[in-house]
Amino acid sequence: MKKADVFVIASIIVFILSLAYITALGGLGPLPPINVRRIAINYLNLTYNTFTPYLTVFALESVTSIVWDFRGLDTLYETAVFYAAIIASIALYRGVYMDFKKNTEKTGLSPIAKTVTRISLILIPTVSASVALHGHLTPGGGFQAGSIATVVIVLSIIIFSRYFLPIHGLSKNKALLFRSIGLLGIAITSIALLLIAIVLGVNAYIFQNQAKIDAPLSFPSLVDNYILGGSLLFFNLFEFIAVAFGFTIVFLLLSISEEKVKKVTMDG
Amino acid sequence: MIEEYLEKILWTYMFFVMIATFGVSIYGIVFRPNMLKKIIALTIFGDTANVFMIFIGYRAIYPIKPPVLWTSHPDKNVLNTFVSQSIDPVPPALVITAIVINMAITLLITFLAIQAYRLYGSLDVRDLSKLKG
Repeated sequence: MKKADVFVIASIIVFILSLAYITALGGLGPLPPINVRRIAINYLNLTYNTFTPYLTVFALESVTSIVWDFRGLDTLYETAVFYAAIIASIALYRGVYMDFKKNTEKTGLSPIAKTVTRISLILIPTVSASVALHGHLTPGGGFQAGSIATVVIVLSIIIFSRYFLPIHGLSKNKALLFRSIGLLGIAITSIALLLIAIVLGVNAYIFQNQAKIDAPLSFPSLVDNYILGGSLLFFNLFEFIAVAFGFTIVFLLLSISEEKVKKVTMDG
Repeated sequence: MIEEYLEKILWTYMFFVMIATFGVSIYGIVFRPNMLKKIIALTIFGDTANVFMIFIGYRAIYPIKPPVLWTSHPDKNVLNTFVSQSIDPVPPALVITAIVINMAITLLITFLAIQAYRLYGSLDVRDLSKLKG
């Protein structure tokens, strides 16, 4: 073993031991803590609080409230980062087009696997839609729902064939279009109240969900006794679309024939 | 008394496992020459950091509940109970962001690794570092 290797291993061990020692000394506070931090108390208090209508989110789920209301702008940029990563991945596949082989009956796994998958292909989107639409009420949300929905794509490619999705009309460009619609929906929802306020001549903020003291407009939070969570429902829905089709693009690209990609890459 | 002692041992064990996993993942990132193994180690590192965050948000109380309000007509008592029994919602919110960013980075570097393999026929960083032009 070289001296440099010994030095690196020793450095890692020292780093880990230092981290353990700092944690044991209480550098991160008592772990696990007994009380939550002041900021968490505020978030929990303001998640659904009818006594402070100008500060509350009117959603039952605190985590979604933080993600899409209290620090919604942060989440918008996070979604943009994911979008940029997918665009960069697509750029690596420029000039590569997907195959359309007509007959998929003879490809894929056994008829039993195909039948079971056909049933799952209906159930999985139902579950993911439920997770997305209830994200403001129960744990879940757009990202989780989008990830669940992508299982459909992976299953289709593995069980049927990589030609299955293109034959049924789901191409890379179509997925990119839906992904862009999702991101556009998030952007429009974030400035929707601001646009209406400009027309009405009142005050409003970017990413405003419920009315503030100086900004009277609100997204509907309660319709027929059903809690909508204001803008959270729309954000979850559009994030669901954006994430589901973002992953779809990735798996469609990965399913393209390696020989074909290699030929295009090598030939330039 | 014994329960408290056991609880402390279990928590210490959990933190020890997490910190050890940090060590293993850092070793993988620094030492393994194969890019795919480096990517796997990077995802282990990110996931361990996320688990660590969730532990920071947990509370050593009983009963403990998720940060989801159970009624749409909360009075002051309900809100006080909710705040006193719920976990800290900030770490889970940060973890969601971290997962998405981690995934975006993993996605990009995986595609780059695939492209590197296509072009140069190797994922070994020692071979790739010798390439010129």
